[in-house]
Amino acid sequence: MSRGSGGGYDRHITIFSPEGRLFQVEYAFKAVKAAGVTSIGVRGKDSVCVVTQKKVPDKLLDPSSITHLFAVTKYLGLVATGTTADARTLVQQARNEAAEFRHKYGYEMPADTLARWIADKSQVYTQHAYMRPLGVVAMVLGIDDEVGPQLFKCDPAGHFFGHKATSAGLKEQEAINFLEKKMKNDPAFTYEETVQTAISALQSVLQEDLKANEIEVGVVVKGNPIFRALSTDEIDEHLTAISERD
Amino acid sequence: MGDSQYSFSLTTFSPSGKLVQIEHALTAVGSGQTSLGIKAANGVVIATEKKLPSILVDETSVQKIQILTPNIGVVYSGMGPDSRVLVRKSRKQAEQYNRLYKEAIPVTQLVRETAAVMQEFTQSGGVRPFGVSLLVAGYDDKGPQLYQVDPSGSYFSWKASAMGKNVSNAKTFLEKRYTDDMELDDAVHTAILTLKEGFEGQISGKNIEIGIIGADKQFRVLTPAEIEDYLQEVE
Repeated sequence: MSRGSGGGYDRHITIFSPEGRLFQVEYAFKAVKAAGVTSIGVRGKDSVCVVTQKKVPDKLLDPSSITHLFAVTKYLGLVATGTTADARTLVQQARNEAAEFRHKYGYEMPADTLARWIADKSQVYTQHAYMRPLGVVAMVLGIDDEVGPQLFKCDPAGHFFGHKATSAGLKEQEAINFLEKKMKNDPAFTYEETVQTAISALQSVLQEDLKANEIEVGVVVKGNPIFRALSTDEIDEHLTAISERD
Repeated sequence: MGDSQYSFSLTTFSPSGKLVQIEHALTAVGSGQTSLGIKAANGVVIATEKKLPSILVDETSVQKIQILTPNIGVVYSGMGPDSRVLVRKSRKQAEQYNRLYKEAIPVTQLVRETAAVMQEFTQSGGVRPFGVSLLVAGYDDKGPQLYQVDPSGSYFSWKASAMGKNVSNAKTFLEKRYTDDMELDDAVHTAILTLKEGFEGQISGKNIEIGIIGADKQFRVLTPAEIEDYLQEVE
């Protein structure tokens, strides 16, 4: 006769529930949504763009210190959606890992290798009781020498996939529905189309027109594969182009 | 493995003598995507559904069937992230054997060592069992072999087996169709038909994966185009 809910611990640490689920992992996903931010990533023909909300909860806060967009190396970007503290520790470890990789193997860590490393670390937290899963969904972007632009998403369960476009955070499902329609016929977006698709997806799911200082935009482009965050002026240009187009 | 705070096992006996965490792990496997394996007279085939959460996912970035050594491959049902850990450990164990004995690891030995890892996680402190069952397909001096390894760490050799959501239908189908003198090509057709039985939606080269190993002792995953060819033959 089984003991019902495993002594109640299956909700506190990552052991299996009677239905074979990991409640702590599921709760970690909820924590990602609770942060109240949505991020979007789109992969084009020769570029990748990520957009995330920049919510400044208090006017007294210095807005330049609030960011979800991180450069793990010069060539790899990471958008961390979810609990800010968990995001910072993940980025710190990722930066360390990427630097060691470069030193050990003599070439830059590719995007998929970083994504796999993040996902494997997340898997460890789902299996070992002494560490809880992180409440962060990470999107890794970069230009790979061999296959071109890459966008990967890693979640608290340890899954990671390559994506043509994806979303994370509060309005994740709405954004994915929007993007599925846009990417249905496998379009090969140019750089401008990639950025504008990402921004307009965010505007559509938030149902409001965004201002340049309310979002962060990060890009990598094939000819110059350095990850960089767009300035507010550049974001404004894209926002104008979108509103003129509509 | 496991912090000192958790020097006790999380998998403990219930009053009736059952290890409930392992049972729950098997439930997790049972809700995973269907996979199966068939041992033919001259080779082994393993196959799985590859249903992705969205059309936005780049299916070329996902490969569920993994190669462990040139002549051994593996497929899983259950939690993908857990399977990655086991694949990595198995590959390392195979390579360590090769370095020590200067020969390819026999299939039974690799299966035994992988199963031992899975058993450790049912007894060590502060960890939960793996939420995957593995089907290991290999071809060595003893001929073609197919093993299934469960979260408890127990393993058996099978002529044909299935795991995951559609396990009972698949096994019934395989029992009817299996013959001891099947050729590898027939086995691939049977594998496809078995997957088709419980498949929701239109089966294609992009939403299933097939791995084969023949008398050449080279395990390989079929390309989507090759799978489409087999699908045409089966129609």
